[in-house]
Amino acid sequence: MTGDRSRREGAQGPPSGVPSRPAALEQDFDDGSLYALRSAVGAHAAAAGLPPGRVYDVVAAAHEMAANAVRHGAGHGHLRLQAADGVLTCQVSDDGPAAPGQGEDGGTAPWSAEHSHGLWVIEEVADQFTIDRGPAGTTATATFTLRPRK
Amino acid sequence: MAEADAQITELAVDDHACLTFGDEEELLDLTAAFVRDGLAAGLQVVWLSDAAPQQAAGELARRGIQAQPALERGQLTAAGCEGRLLTGQAFHADTAVGWLARQVESSRQAGFPGLRLAVDMGWALRPVTGIEELPRFEEGITGILDGGTASVLCQYDRGRFDPVTLASVAEFHTRSVAAATYYADAVLRICRQYAPPGIRIAGEIDYHAEEPLALALAEAVRLEGDVVMNMSALAFADAPCTAMIADAARTVAASRTVVLQCRPAVAARLARLGITRLPRVRLVTVSDG
Repeated sequence: MTGDRSRREGAQGPPSGVPSRPAALEQDFDDGSLYALRSAVGAHAAAAGLPPGRVYDVVAAAHEMAANAVRHGAGHGHLRLQAADGVLTCQVSDDGPAAPGQGEDGGTAPWSAEHSHGLWVIEEVADQFTIDRGPAGTTATATFTLRPRK
Repeated sequence: MAEADAQITELAVDDHACLTFGDEEELLDLTAAFVRDGLAAGLQVVWLSDAAPQQAAGELARRGIQAQPALERGQLTAAGCEGRLLTGQAFHADTAVGWLARQVESSRQAGFPGLRLAVDMGWALRPVTGIEELPRFEEGITGILDGGTASVLCQYDRGRFDPVTLASVAEFHTRSVAAATYYADAVLRICRQYAPPGIRIAGEIDYHAEEPLALALAEAVRLEGDVVMNMSALAFADAPCTAMIADAARTVAASRTVVLQCRPAVAARLARLGITRLPRVRLVTVSDG
């Protein structure tokens, strides 16, 4: 339903303010640029029509995913944020090897219990959250529905 | 006067202290503590600033200090600088020092055991005639206060006064005062709050500042009495920092009341950690700044 709406190019947006296919945010990050990343994610989430509390949720989830990549993964990564078909998708990929001492058991360490609180926050706030971990790195994806919550 | 060498709560009865502050909230917090402690000691307190008297009273009330009775009985005066330090927006060091001397004398005659004067020096940033006499004024104050029971707190905005001016007046002060600061950069500030006692966290905080946050929280937990964690200007806190704040609140709440002032999104995150179920935790939501 929302997918149809968001594809109506040029039409007035629905009352919830879901825009039609805004450009995706693509941003690299590392330990020193998480503040800038949060700022960009916040601006994009607000532009996608989310209310302030939900914008904070998206920023919090994006930060925790990125912080994980910085602290327990490659030390840097890439974030992609795109609103499409009534869903805001935030994807963080960490394409490097795990930091020394991490991931030696074949891939669970970078999202281990040590930082479970960050993981818990993402699971709490996102409508869906998946982690895809392979030899090339980790891709974490959180989605947020753009429909107004009842 | 290098770094601050005293806390606002540690001033002597005849100190001529130089307070430097970074933002309005810090100025008002430190001034409120100075006023509060002066009133509690039975001293006469005069607060000179650009704020109208009612505004000053409101600021004190917001920090839990009941100023109205003290204002009504003449123990507390909140007033502007005109007619006291300034005459027709002109500054004469001798006139201003003379005003202070008379103030000290009238306070003594009124039976007060001492006087506390807080002066927001913001007026000296305006194009006031005679401003070059500022160092002589500061020198004159020290002469009047020495060995007596009157203290003066001169308040200088670190960001607006140039270092040369600050250095030129520094030597006349007996003490420098500033808020104890655990961390400060363009994005985040963690400092002590004095009125009411606690800590203030403003800006955005994440794991980079875990260490200073841990120190600030540890000191907040050790404060006597109820503790306020002022996060009214905290726009973001990541998961580990939010958990640390919740843990500290839990620790305080074992024996005392802890007040957490924060914006709706941060409040929601703290509430999710279950601390609002504790009887001595008060989560106060303030509007987004």
